[in-house]
Amino acid sequence: MEPNDRLSLHAWANPSSSCNGLPRKMSLENPSFTNFNLQQQEQKWDDTSILNYGIRIEPPFHEFNQASESEYLLSSTCNNQPKVLDQEDGLNNEALQTSKSLDWDPRTMLNNLSFLEQKIHHLQDLVHLIVGRKGQALGGHDQLVTQQQQLITADLTSIIVQLISTAGSLLPSVKHKLSTGPPNGQLGELLFPPLAGMNCVPQPQHGSGSIAVQPQCVTGSKVSDQCNQMDVTGNCGTEQNLSIEEHEMKEEEDADEGENLPPGSYDILQLEKEEILAPHTHFCTICGKGFKRDANLRMHMRGHGDEYKTPAALAKPNKESSSEPVIIKRYSCPFAGCKRNKDHKKFQPLKTILCVKNHYKRTHCDKSYICSRCNTKKFSVMADLKTHEKHCGKDKWLCSCGTTFSRKDKLFGHIALFQGHTPAIPLEETKGPSVSCDKMDGNEASNKSGKHKFQLWLQCW
Amino acid sequence: MSTQSTPILSVLTEDLLIRVNEKLVQDSDRKIWRLICKEFHRVDSITRKTLRVLHVEFLLTLLKNYTNLHTLDLSVCPCIEDGTITLLLHRVGHSMWARNLKVLNLSRANGLKFSGLEMLVGACKGLESVDVSYCCGFGDREAAAISGCGGLKELRMDKCLGVSDVGLAKIVVGCGRLEMLSLKWCMEISYLGVELLCKKCLELKFLDVSYLKVTSDWLRSIAALSKLEDLAMVGCPLVNDVGLQFLENGCPLLQKIDVSRCDCVSSSGLTALIRGHNGLLQIDAGYAIAEFSGNFVECMQELKNLNAIIIDGARVSDTIFQTISSNCKSLIEIGLSKCTGVTNMGIMQLVSGCVNLKTINLTCCRSITDAAISAIADSCRNLLRLKLESCNMVTEKSLGHLGLHCALLEELDLTDCFGVNDRGLERLSRCSRLLCLKLGLCTNISDTGLFYIASNCSQLHELDLYRCMGIGDDGLAALSSGCKKLRKLNLSYCFEVTDKGMKSLGYLEELSDLELRALDKITGAGLAALVTRCKRLAYLDLKYCTRVDDTGFWALAYYSRNLRQINLSYCSITDMALCMLMGNLTRLQDADLVQLTNVTVQGFDLALRACCVRIKKVKLVAALGSLISSEVLGILHARGCRIRWD
Repeated sequence: MEPNDRLSLHAWANPSSSCNGLPRKMSLENPSFTNFNLQQQEQKWDDTSILNYGIRIEPPFHEFNQASESEYLLSSTCNNQPKVLDQEDGLNNEALQTSKSLDWDPRTMLNNLSFLEQKIHHLQDLVHLIVGRKGQALGGHDQLVTQQQQLITADLTSIIVQLISTAGSLLPSVKHKLSTGPPNGQLGELLFPPLAGMNCVPQPQHGSGSIAVQPQCVTGSKVSDQCNQMDVTGNCGTEQNLSIEEHEMKEEEDADEGENLPPGSYDILQLEKEEILAPHTHFCTICGKGFKRDANLRMHMRGHGDEYKTPAALAKPNKESSSEPVIIKRYSCPFAGCKRNKDHKKFQPLKTILCVKNHYKRTHCDKSYICSRCNTKKFSVMADLKTHEKHCGKDKWLCSCGTTFSRKDKLFGHIALFQGHTPAIPLEETKGPSVSCDKMDGNEASNKSGKHKFQLWLQCW
Repeated sequence: MSTQSTPILSVLTEDLLIRVNEKLVQDSDRKIWRLICKEFHRVDSITRKTLRVLHVEFLLTLLKNYTNLHTLDLSVCPCIEDGTITLLLHRVGHSMWARNLKVLNLSRANGLKFSGLEMLVGACKGLESVDVSYCCGFGDREAAAISGCGGLKELRMDKCLGVSDVGLAKIVVGCGRLEMLSLKWCMEISYLGVELLCKKCLELKFLDVSYLKVTSDWLRSIAALSKLEDLAMVGCPLVNDVGLQFLENGCPLLQKIDVSRCDCVSSSGLTALIRGHNGLLQIDAGYAIAEFSGNFVECMQELKNLNAIIIDGARVSDTIFQTISSNCKSLIEIGLSKCTGVTNMGIMQLVSGCVNLKTINLTCCRSITDAAISAIADSCRNLLRLKLESCNMVTEKSLGHLGLHCALLEELDLTDCFGVNDRGLERLSRCSRLLCLKLGLCTNISDTGLFYIASNCSQLHELDLYRCMGIGDDGLAALSSGCKKLRKLNLSYCFEVTDKGMKSLGYLEELSDLELRALDKITGAGLAALVTRCKRLAYLDLKYCTRVDDTGFWALAYYSRNLRQINLSYCSITDMALCMLMGNLTRLQDADLVQLTNVTVQGFDLALRACCVRIKKVKLVAALGSLISSEVLGILHARGCRIRWD
């Protein structure tokens, strides 16, 4: 969904921008699709002016990724069907997995170099054009000229960074210095050096630029930090996000229990077991980076430009109300005989990929995560364990009828509902009654308290 | 004696004696009755319904004698603990006393824990009212014990800091017939507990949730209580107009509402509440509402039955007085303390309509003059209580009018009215029913004025002469011969008072509260003369009485066995006397022992050791904190004693 939005945003934003005439002409002159896309990217730079500096360095790599999968780009630009995208996601995934085995891919390198060549050509064209324009330029175009200068500087920077990164991918030592964690695969490896470079290289160059550049540079580096973090901790994810996401996922799965879509009113997709168990499910359509959570992907997308920072882009995509009728997608579990499998008589489809993943893990996988506190509860989804651990061993809210509750309000709701039920006071607090009587028999006192304790115990169970 | 009493007894049957005994109201009269003969004593034992025990050592015999008790008050009896209860239940005539008990006051019984409470509740099957206020150890477990009283109708749990929603839930489920519940200062109580309360205790008529985090949600739940008549929520900072609007359509029988010191309440919220309840009898909105809107004043017109309205601290105008005057004809009480905009005109308008007013509070209404007081005196012939603190324009004229027209006046506060003089007191002394008179900071009065009061106001039982520098021994002599019923007397900073005055005070046998702060002319001999006769003394303030020596304190330790609270700060008491005091005074619960220069650390240690099982509050210099043995501090702490470090 998102790439489409982004691209359409471009198309829409371009005509209204102030100095679009020139690059547009250029894009028309360019025949190849990849170039066309590239051009669009450039237009974006132009439009969003200086403020984009920090991020501008990234696009080359996105485009590198996209260039290798031009088919993907094609389909997503002209075709609005999300289904294709999803399949593409899978494809991407597979590509990632196959490339894992190789340490260095000469084909990628070649792609990279040819891209660089293209880029330089393009820059050349641009400079030509500026030269031609300067001849007829009048005095009032100072701003335009500085903008163009900056544009070229940025392009050059990106080329330099790209070169460094391409070179970096050849040197294992550099690579390891830059990425502290275990690299996730070819894609991640290639991504790392430039990202790290971005933090240090462009800044001195922009030092001569306006002050307005600074904040953007900062956010740019932030994004890269985030990305770094994502990749390093890629396999387990940050804990906070995990739990939040988990709740959402559960709700989603629960919600679709009651859903009653007539069969045939939706497309059924069935992911294979391997796909379900793959660590990443969300992939950036620009740079191809994989994420476990869409929310994190959306956060990442902010680094790709201002258009991803709008509330609409940041909102959950499924909450967007589109006027066009969208074909409803539902998922089937690959496990034969499962109620969630499309061949089952009473097939109940799963709503999202996340539901599929959680369902498959919970139902058809070993429960390999064991709670370290109680050592009895087992889970197959890490987040389930985390949720459990949060409450495990904590004060249970206990009713006199023996029912336990994890939350006080639930217990009180229960008590309000049933006649005669009262909250039980946990035993641990029981202290021997502080009887300090001089005249009373010691025996009597101890009997009393013993009996009392027993009654209390009875009350609790 | 027995030969004389026999014929009387042969004439008076037991039945008749009981009837006569029932007519005795005053405690002192009953005491005399008991002392006449054994038969009279027996009759008193049978008929006695209420018992307030002051000494734990007599509890056993008292409960043996009085088997028909309805009310037992142990709030001023120290050392009540689980062991005591076991003893009382198992040793005293098969706990006969507990059978008919309906009302039990255990306020401040810090030593009582859940096992004792459970035994008590188990024995007293018919309990209807329990007061466990200010029991610092009272928590959920204790609440669970109380919940065994199925027939409980009234429960006070003020400042039971340990009670949480769980304890409340126990009580709510166990005592479903609760009609009155006070949760004041039970800070742990949250919405969940109150929500449950409002679902389970539908008989509730009175609810006090003062100083809690009452929100609109609470009020939505409370609005469902169909029998609620009285709702108090003093000092609830989260209560707002939205919450009060919930009450507009709920609690159909609501008669009294107290929202004083609720900062977020405005007159629009109160207007909504009034709109829903035209039968309101009492509104307390002191320090809650800054100004009254036109709507509110309009709404007031509907409150035909209003008895009392308290709007302390508000800005008022004459129009509101006009509205009240012409509509709330049955108004009995009005509180205008620290209101701005109270004028003579306004008060005149008010009293022209509300002639039934019995209580008027005009504290700090400084623009009030004799004209307004005269109007009050002329119109409100039934006036009982009038507070005029800091009304500086009030002069002898006002007092003259009050003396002439308000024969029923019982309570008058003239603190800080420097217009009051001897002549004024002479005129005021016509109010022969005066019970309480406050003349603090009235520097223009002397012994002469006091003489008039003493000779005419024989009922007086409270007199405040704080910083009345003109008062001396002669005034006190007059007082001691005229006001025999005096119970509370404040003589602080009346520097002229000497031992002679103390001696005359000794004739006031009922005296229980006496403040003698900074009387540097009295000595040990004076104090001794006082305490040998005033056996009822319960509160004594001797702060800065630097010339009182050990002879006085010895006497105090020997005679004042009923002393409950004492302030000895800055006195010249020594180790020995302090130890004697603290050891001998078995009822003592609160002692201020700051800056005692003649007392050593060992002295403090011994003194505290002597009283540590019964004392509940003690004030010490902070420096002592590290010097006193931790053992003593440990016992004090375990007994629930609060130490205030100065």
